[in-house]
Amino acid sequence: MMTSTQQTALKNIVIVGGGSAGWMAAAALSTMLSPQNVTITLIESDKIGTIGVGEATIPDMVNFNSMLGINEAEFLKAVNGTFKLGIEFIDWGQKGERYIHPFGNHGVDMNGIDFHQYWLHSKNGGHPAQLEDYSLCASAAKDHKFTMPDRNPRSLLSHIRYAYHIDATLYARFLRTYAEKRGVIRTEGTVIDVHQCPQSGYIQSLSLENGARIEGDFFFDCTGFRALLAEKTLNVEFDDWSHWLPCDRAQTVASEPSLPLLPYTKATAKSAGWQWRIPTQTRTGNGHIYASEFMDDQDAADILMAGLETPAMGEPRLIKFRTGCRKNIWTKNCIALGLSAGFLEPLESTSLYLIQMGISRFISLFPSGDISPVVRGEYNIQMQKEFDQVRDFIILHYKATQRSDSPFWDYCRTMAIPDSLTRKIELFRAAGRVFRYDDELFSKPSWVAVCLGQNIMPESCDPIVAALPYAQVNQSLESMSKAMTQAVEKMPTHETFLKRYGAMS
Amino acid sequence: MPDVKIRNIIIVGGGTAGWMAAAALSRLITDEDMNITLIESEAIGTVGVGEATIPHIRYFNRLLGLDENEFVKKTNATFKLGIEFVNWGRIGERYIHPFGDYGMPMEGLRFHHFWRRYQAMGKAKPLDDYCLQILAAKAGKFQRPEQTLKNSPLNSIVYAFQFDASLYAKFMREFAQAKGVTRVEGRIIDAQRHAETGHVQSVALENGQRHAGDIFIDCSGFRGLLIEQSLKTGYDDWSAFLPCDRAVARASEACADPLPYTRASAKKAGWQWRIPLQSRIGNGHVFCSEFMSEDEAADSLNADLDGAPLSEPNLLRFKTGIRKKTWNKNVIALGLSAGFLEPLESTSIHLIQTALARLMASFPDKNFAAANVDYFNRRTQQEYEQVRDFLILHYFATQREDSPFWRYCKNMAIPGSLSDRLALYEANARLYRHDNEIFGETSWLAVMHGQGLVPKSYHPLANSLPADVLTERMNQLERVTQSCLDHMPSHRAFIDQHCKAQ
Repeated sequence: MMTSTQQTALKNIVIVGGGSAGWMAAAALSTMLSPQNVTITLIESDKIGTIGVGEATIPDMVNFNSMLGINEAEFLKAVNGTFKLGIEFIDWGQKGERYIHPFGNHGVDMNGIDFHQYWLHSKNGGHPAQLEDYSLCASAAKDHKFTMPDRNPRSLLSHIRYAYHIDATLYARFLRTYAEKRGVIRTEGTVIDVHQCPQSGYIQSLSLENGARIEGDFFFDCTGFRALLAEKTLNVEFDDWSHWLPCDRAQTVASEPSLPLLPYTKATAKSAGWQWRIPTQTRTGNGHIYASEFMDDQDAADILMAGLETPAMGEPRLIKFRTGCRKNIWTKNCIALGLSAGFLEPLESTSLYLIQMGISRFISLFPSGDISPVVRGEYNIQMQKEFDQVRDFIILHYKATQRSDSPFWDYCRTMAIPDSLTRKIELFRAAGRVFRYDDELFSKPSWVAVCLGQNIMPESCDPIVAALPYAQVNQSLESMSKAMTQAVEKMPTHETFLKRYGAMS
Repeated sequence: MPDVKIRNIIIVGGGTAGWMAAAALSRLITDEDMNITLIESEAIGTVGVGEATIPHIRYFNRLLGLDENEFVKKTNATFKLGIEFVNWGRIGERYIHPFGDYGMPMEGLRFHHFWRRYQAMGKAKPLDDYCLQILAAKAGKFQRPEQTLKNSPLNSIVYAFQFDASLYAKFMREFAQAKGVTRVEGRIIDAQRHAETGHVQSVALENGQRHAGDIFIDCSGFRGLLIEQSLKTGYDDWSAFLPCDRAVARASEACADPLPYTRASAKKAGWQWRIPLQSRIGNGHVFCSEFMSEDEAADSLNADLDGAPLSEPNLLRFKTGIRKKTWNKNVIALGLSAGFLEPLESTSIHLIQTALARLMASFPDKNFAAANVDYFNRRTQQEYEQVRDFLILHYFATQREDSPFWRYCKNMAIPGSLSDRLALYEANARLYRHDNEIFGETSWLAVMHGQGLVPKSYHPLANSLPADVLTERMNQLERVTQSCLDHMPSHRAFIDQHCKAQ
């Protein structure tokens, strides 16, 4: 009955491009595959620069590192890293307003009902506390404090969730050392030609400028926006989302580090886009993302420079992009990873996460030599969903605004949005309900933070909570916030923690 | 601001669905000016099909704050480790769909990939031998998980219950009435609706009483008294995929030692359930009237009872499918009025439970925000479809061709969502749990493997473990599983010690 499980296996995996995407793939594959069975080659050219936009991350990165067995302190030291507890959004709902989208929860759910329902009720009763007063991560962020989560689930400190701010160039270098140690072969060179099987169209080999020819049975396209294999060779269709996310350029510059070291990213809305501020140990990363239809490059550079908190360390650099996602990220025997797969602006720091998912999904669907279309199809469905869900969450930030001080914000405020997002917003507006679909990345607290932070006020709160006496709800909320304040007081500062942890000298 | 608060909740019908709703709502709604009324008629019988459950019911019990031993005693219950499927893939074959996992994951991969490789090496025992739940079920053993043993299979025992549904409804009724739910005896003869909105405003009883409500939970069973007879919501018929449309049920005398699992034996034009309780066995024959007469089905059931019958055969007619909207205006359909899926995987009570959880999470005010209602309906629909796909798998993944019924099933068209899943498994043993669906990878594997589907290959990364390491781990796993099994008491002994029914 049982058939033989003899199978053709992948023997040669070739990664083209050595930025974050390329080296993350090389590192992950090198721990999962044994070098006797599979050769992993990464081709990169020192001549081609890498784009280091994705310097802020989200908590899933902690899992990626632990899958690789990386020592956290060593990692942070090598990449000039700092800890991140959330993102502060400034001037998004209305000018002059700010809120924090923290990692982790707001408060503690009671009787199976979300915490924010109790907060809404208490607010309706005139209680002045802000939602983020009940978030441990937001409170610690505001005080520039940090500590590790407690493993004991009963401890308040177990609610801490964190990510990192890193220097992406150093990160690629760090992963390169890691991957080369595990047998990944790095080849220096520029790809000038791609050879496909005339029948199947599968990629068979690549010719380099120096005359070398690299053969492979599976390819990762990590060549960035150029998408050398996905676009130029395989012509994989691209879904353009710029009508929902019109920003298409960024001016970026590093500036001097500033103290105290903030354990969070800042995203400040501007008249035709927004500006990021990412603190690493030795410098601050800055970038101004804007829509070229509403602003010219020089104005954008001026706004960037005017918005710096510390002196610039160089001249602004222009990056052009197109927001959207490739339709079949895995086509034939090639997966597009990183910017070649699609681009979503780093408003919620998802770039490295999407790379990580691209890799882990591949590992879980790891194909045999004859790639089954079913396996490929499943990969594409899963990745598409991932991009769609992140996209919706980012659009929310632009759509949920009351700003009318520029044509850009007028456009965003009134634009049509995907149905999936309309449904979520309506549901929240009705009675503050949020549901997480399909294990999507951004869960309840994230949607709540942004919706409320940008003034989508529910018309009513949960009817069951609404029936409770204000005094009773206020009392439990106050004791919760008191416990949080006490916990934050006891935490070391972000900088002290980094030093004590051996992550900063 | 106008007063939009819901004050009166009316539950129509007092079977399992009605009293579960009453119990859950009365536990969660503590507001004193919200009233819960349940209207039922003793003249109308209840359908007690759903006597076997799946492990999620323990969340429901915990929500109500029930003492589990007390609950088991009062409902004449036994414990359930899984379902044994007999004669499904082929006549003469059997397998158990366990609630707990096979083996343990290694190197980030599911166990069955390594098992396949081990089998290719010529060394593997049957997959079942690496699953404590299955071995325990076969040996008639049971215990609750041992929380203190962190990495032991004894820590990950997952179980559900098999109970008497009428005792369960009675138990829920006592709970709900103690929490203030008003029970009204009477037969509903009419529903009055608002002239503009069409919302149900009140129901009239045969005895002349009229009960007004802001929200109505229709637990009136197949008839769908409010959701269908009054609101004409419409029904999506799924019988092309699941053609069985009748069941004949009958209780029989208990055997000495109750089995810690449910049995589902495939028959000529359907299948027969066997659900062991402490004092009797529930039996039922689900069949397709197009391929078998009611008399023949009853004869087949009678011939296959393990003990003397304790009741007369009871015939049920149903149509598999789902109401087009399970929440329509101010009426929420729960249980059989919402839809019907045969009890092959014991999901009836579970579907009531999740709908209640969804209702509580989306609890409305009198504006009945459309976004709220749409969400509820979309999720309910999705959940029913997911269960439907899993049920279809049992019929479709068969090699049986010994009757017109099985030839139909083997060759029928199936939903695309299911054929994709089958193709993915057949390509290289990959399984995914989509969108938090009820049945996870273990369940899909159990049925696909149990019904003879053989993947072309397994996960290539399973080859990365050196052969001697794999051999050692498999031997170790087998030893540990066996010693866990030796440690477990018999199901009978466990019940006698903790929760014997009076």
